[in-house]
Amino acid sequence: MNYLKRAMLYLTHKKGQSLLLLLIMSAILVFVLSGLIIQNAAVSATNSVTKSAGTTISVSANRNKMFSKMRSGTSKSKPKTITTPTVSNEKIKKAGKLNTVAYYNITNTASVNASSFDTVSTSTGTSGGGMGMKGGASAGDISIDGVSSTKLTSAFVSKTNKIVSGRNITTSDVNTKNVVIEKELATQNGIKVGDSMTVKMTSSGKKSLKLKVVGIYKAKSTSSSVPGSDPSNTIYTSYTLPATITGTEGKSSTVTYILENSAKEKATTKKIKRIINNSSFSVSSDDASYKQLLQPMKNVQSFAKKIVWLVAIAGTIILALIIILSVRTRQREIGVLVSLGESKFHIVAQLFSELFVILIGAMVVALLLGSFVGNKVGNQLLSQQQTTSVSTTSGSNGGPGGSGAPGSSQTGGGMRGGMATQSAGTTSAANKKTLKTLNTSITPSSVIKLGGMGLVIIALAVCVSAISILRLRPKDILIGE
Amino acid sequence: MLTVKNLTHWYGKSEKPLYENVNLSFESDKVYTIVGSSGSGKTTFLSFIAGLDKPQKGDIFLDGTNIKKLGATNYRKHKVAIVFQQYNLLTYMSALDNIMTALSVTDSEHKGEKQYALDALKNVGIEKSDAEKNVQKLSGGQQQRVAIIRAMLVDANIVIADEPTGNLDGENSKMIIKLFQDLAHAHHKTVIIVTHDPEIADHGDVKISLENCQFVVA
Ligand SMILES: Nc1ncnc2c1ncn2[C@@H]1O[C@H](COP(=O)(O)OP(=O)(O)OP(=O)(O)O)[C@@H](O)[C@H]1O
Ligand SMILES: [Mg+2]
Repeated sequence: MNYLKRAMLYLTHKKGQSLLLLLIMSAILVFVLSGLIIQNAAVSATNSVTKSAGTTISVSANRNKMFSKMRSGTSKSKPKTITTPTVSNEKIKKAGKLNTVAYYNITNTASVNASSFDTVSTSTGTSGGGMGMKGGASAGDISIDGVSSTKLTSAFVSKTNKIVSGRNITTSDVNTKNVVIEKELATQNGIKVGDSMTVKMTSSGKKSLKLKVVGIYKAKSTSSSVPGSDPSNTIYTSYTLPATITGTEGKSSTVTYILENSAKEKATTKKIKRIINNSSFSVSSDDASYKQLLQPMKNVQSFAKKIVWLVAIAGTIILALIIILSVRTRQREIGVLVSLGESKFHIVAQLFSELFVILIGAMVVALLLGSFVGNKVGNQLLSQQQTTSVSTTSGSNGGPGGSGAPGSSQTGGGMRGGMATQSAGTTSAANKKTLKTLNTSITPSSVIKLGGMGLVIIALAVCVSAISILRLRPKDILIGE
Repeated sequence: MLTVKNLTHWYGKSEKPLYENVNLSFESDKVYTIVGSSGSGKTTFLSFIAGLDKPQKGDIFLDGTNIKKLGATNYRKHKVAIVFQQYNLLTYMSALDNIMTALSVTDSEHKGEKQYALDALKNVGIEKSDAEKNVQKLSGGQQQRVAIIRAMLVDANIVIADEPTGNLDGENSKMIIKLFQDLAHAHHKTVIIVTHDPEIADHGDVKISLENCQFVVA
């Protein structure tokens, strides 16, 4: 009849008390576990956001260099036209094969004139003025945006543009004249998916190009920051077509690489720079928006951590008080054992064993209930966090556009604002999927953590009450009736 | 042989000690009864010889060894068995389990021998069915017999009892006296009983009265 057997006898004899203690401990553990689950889920969600959403690295013309070139050009007698620098598609593909890169999107643009159809004009007057201002040999009334895939293009990712019939432009459209046009343009000219349309080049002898419509998209906003160009007049094609039009076949001007894992941002930027190896290009990464998206995760994480600690501390106090009370009612029993010569260590060990058995039972209850509670609380928390973060995101994006500082022109401000929205758009949509729900399943590590926490809680509680056992003077236990 | 030497004790700052320079010896094979008025310090004295408390002054020797040297827990575990007026048993188990617990805790010779315990209980009229019930379902007299059997079966040579028949009727008291006599005479233990009951006091081998701060051996 050692202390372990005594513990079992005690628990089975005092069924009601054991059950009550089981319920209290279960409640404490359910809270600890939901905290752990939420914490875990937030950590893994953070990691998957870091992995999947990632940072974008964009390779584009080095503006400073372009403008300084232009200035040096003007100092000479003959005004030079600004040519957008290009880089070979081989280099782009080579960089795209880096294993830290998830996917990439090549963008080339060109300008042509409508031939077999009419352009959409936003408002009277402005359109003409804009055209006049643009003028020159290279500007047309239709903008051709060549991309690797419309799905990866920011305007589509951010849902500003949406395919309403037909299909997206994909990498299989390389070297074709397949296009996706805006709905307004399509309706105005009675063009349907499968129809053809003709445009005329602005230079190269005004050659005609016959384009095949494979999809129609709808643009959300019809107003444009650049006066005179209605977004409906943008035609999406494969990135190869604008290159053909501008006579830069096999080359491209802008690429966006989306990383598999944001942690590899710096190293990848370096590698891409080395591969592109062209000083006319700037290779820069943008992870600000991704960091902003991680904030709700971080908040949930730290909140969960606080829950775990708070509940653990409160639980220890509650359990310790209960155990101290029960030790008081068990003075006689302890006295009998002491008078038999049982060591106080064994008496404390019996107490601990009793609580340990209850802890095991409470763990089972907690594991059954914890995932349910964790799920509810976690997603509630997350949705709250998200609403606040969404409002801060839109606020900060509006900032640069509106705060076009005195001196800088209105268009300049607008452009910067637009760019910010664009770069944010590329990442945020990808994240939304991962952030919507937390994966609140119970992992072996959270079970181990829970067990560890439980052990610490009962150990502390037993220690505190052990002080009261050890302080009992044997004579007082027996004689103090 | 248990020897008390120069024992003096007082509680707190009380002007007058309970007793001064007590010298007493208790031999095996004998039943000692201690009588005295309430508050005279009988229980206090028992707590010293049971190793539950320490006197202000003086020493207690067991076969020539100071019990301080043995250590209080060790002394209680191996040398002395205690029977109180009530609340002697662990209430969350059966009589049998109480005895098995005692045998195990005290590391006694008959540790783990269920049948040995059952036979001893049967000798005092507690059948197996009663022995396996929760002790709280036994009568006060039955419970007290279980406590005495427990003291009998463990290896301890000294049995100390504080008013063991305090709330038992005459019939039960007689049975208990008989058991204590058995402990001393058949099991060769030293039995020391504090009692108010003249019946018991007269059935001891040596009667000690505590009067006016003095232990007087009759
Ligand atoms: N822990 C203590 N602290 C202070 N005084 C105490 C303590 N224990 C006992 N006393 C006092 O010591 C005296 C002797 O007490 P004790 O319990 O030994 O008497 P007793 O002879 O057993 O009495 P009774 O026959 O009523 O059981 C009493 O006056 C009591 O108040
Ligand atoms: Mg007393």
